[in-house]
Amino acid sequence: MSARKTHPPTQESTTRPRPPSKVRSTVWLLVSALIVLFAIWQVNADWSRFANIFTEAPRYIALMGQGVIENPFTMPWSEYWTKSLALMIESLQMAWIGTLIGAVLSFPVSFLAASNTAPRVVVIVTRQVLNIIRAVPEIVLALVFMIPIFGLGPLAGAMALGVGSVGTLGKLSSEAIEGIDRGPLEALDAAGASKLQQLRWAVVPQVLPEIVAFWLYRFEINIRAGAILGIVGAGGIGSILDQLFNAREWGRIGLTLVVIIVVTVIVDQISAKVRQRIIAGPGAPAAAKQVRERVAV
Amino acid sequence: MSTPATTDRAPTDQPPADRPVKPPPSIGTVVGLLVFAAISVYAAIGIEFTLRPLWEDVNRGREIVARYFDPNWAILTRPAVREGFLETLYIAIIATLVGCLIALVCAMLASKVSAPNTPVYRITKFVLSVLRSLPDLAWGLLFVAFVVNPQLSGVLALTMFNIGIVAKLTSESIDAVERGPIEAVEAAGGSRFQRGRYAVLPQVAPNYLSYCFYVFEINIRASAVLGMIGAGGIGTVINILVSRLQHEDLAAVVYALVVVVFILDQASRAVRRRLT
Repeated sequence: MSARKTHPPTQESTTRPRPPSKVRSTVWLLVSALIVLFAIWQVNADWSRFANIFTEAPRYIALMGQGVIENPFTMPWSEYWTKSLALMIESLQMAWIGTLIGAVLSFPVSFLAASNTAPRVVVIVTRQVLNIIRAVPEIVLALVFMIPIFGLGPLAGAMALGVGSVGTLGKLSSEAIEGIDRGPLEALDAAGASKLQQLRWAVVPQVLPEIVAFWLYRFEINIRAGAILGIVGAGGIGSILDQLFNAREWGRIGLTLVVIIVVTVIVDQISAKVRQRIIAGPGAPAAAKQVRERVAV
Repeated sequence: MSTPATTDRAPTDQPPADRPVKPPPSIGTVVGLLVFAAISVYAAIGIEFTLRPLWEDVNRGREIVARYFDPNWAILTRPAVREGFLETLYIAIIATLVGCLIALVCAMLASKVSAPNTPVYRITKFVLSVLRSLPDLAWGLLFVAFVVNPQLSGVLALTMFNIGIVAKLTSESIDAVERGPIEAVEAAGGSRFQRGRYAVLPQVAPNYLSYCFYVFEINIRASAVLGMIGAGGIGTVINILVSRLQHEDLAAVVYALVVVVFILDQASRAVRRRLT
């Protein structure tokens, strides 16, 4: 910041430039701090209970750990493990079918929500409908609509996940559609293709990889949602979780949580790998190299 | 994807001889589709998938669903409902702040760019993926058992969940920062903290703030249902109404919930759009 040689300085010209005004960010910081302080003051949480984290929780966690390290091949425990695993697989199945339903429902809707494939009025209406769907928590959807229609069980859960997925999937997919290259669209238009043919041969091939990646992303979210829907009776591992906490069976709780964590992490990893492969295409590094070579030539 | 149709729609005369033959679908695509179909069938059998209730048992549901078109708006004026909504909002706000602050530190440790060494980076990444793998309500159940107090357990549950999400997203942003400023700070003899504060943080700040608002949206939704397992907020009210089968009242509360979430979502997204 000191004077440069090219500018033989007089005393006045060496003043350091003024830092940009911080008034705006300071005001925002103060406003958010006030909101948070107001919330802390208003909410009647019993903050002293926080000490329980250090006094009670370690004991419970130790009990949970005992359940996990108990020999899984002796009688009650082997049954607990298989039961938890079977229910977690049911959660996965719900998540898969839910995602599938969401994908099937959202695919046509996303064309209606993209400004380059649908008229303006339709886009605005569809977008708001999607926003409203996004605003309903899946568990409320299951409790209020799906269980009365489909009865208790995983089917209601899958339907709730499916309808709940339409909101995000439709929004993300429509944004992908809006980002396409217009060239193929114009070429088909010039060749006299109908509106439907244009969608099929110009839009779908461009956006399909991205949209499939969104489906997988939503699948990862649905696994977590599917693991808790059982709390309201909509199938999956949540059902047993609620019972166990009511009965305070810490050993089995620990074991069930381990099952949830391990299965979720594994499926997440696989799904992320597949997503990467879909987006980047086969042999990504090789393809990138080829492109570079082609440019070089 | 696009195998047959071109040949069906061949014009009146035969296709020109120089037209290239369509390549057969690759083995990867075929295997992928087969695996996809197999999993779908397996899952559908597993949960006994059927759409039959939609038209056969619809009468059973119709009575209940019909009551949702006749909501009892009067219940919204009850103090318990109003307090439930406010509590949901407070829990979400506090959890967002605490979770995001802790997440910033975790994010710094979970990126190769800013972590002090590889073991720290690996451990933090692993812990974060465990944090994220438990759903919000599972955290809720745990903390209700640990601290008993509903509001506090709601805040703690959402905080844990937020750390996982925000730290992961932010650490990915940190991975992508430009190295120039980091090298500059290092060359000027800055400490590790100074490097994070003056070279990394300014670059990721807009993204980080936008993630904070994003989890705030998630928190509003999550804290609304956390009450169902006894962790405070409007979910408590929903739970009571469900167990008493007061569907007209429940309808009004659910609609109000959707409106509140919708408005906060839009506000938060307007802020996010300005940030990035």
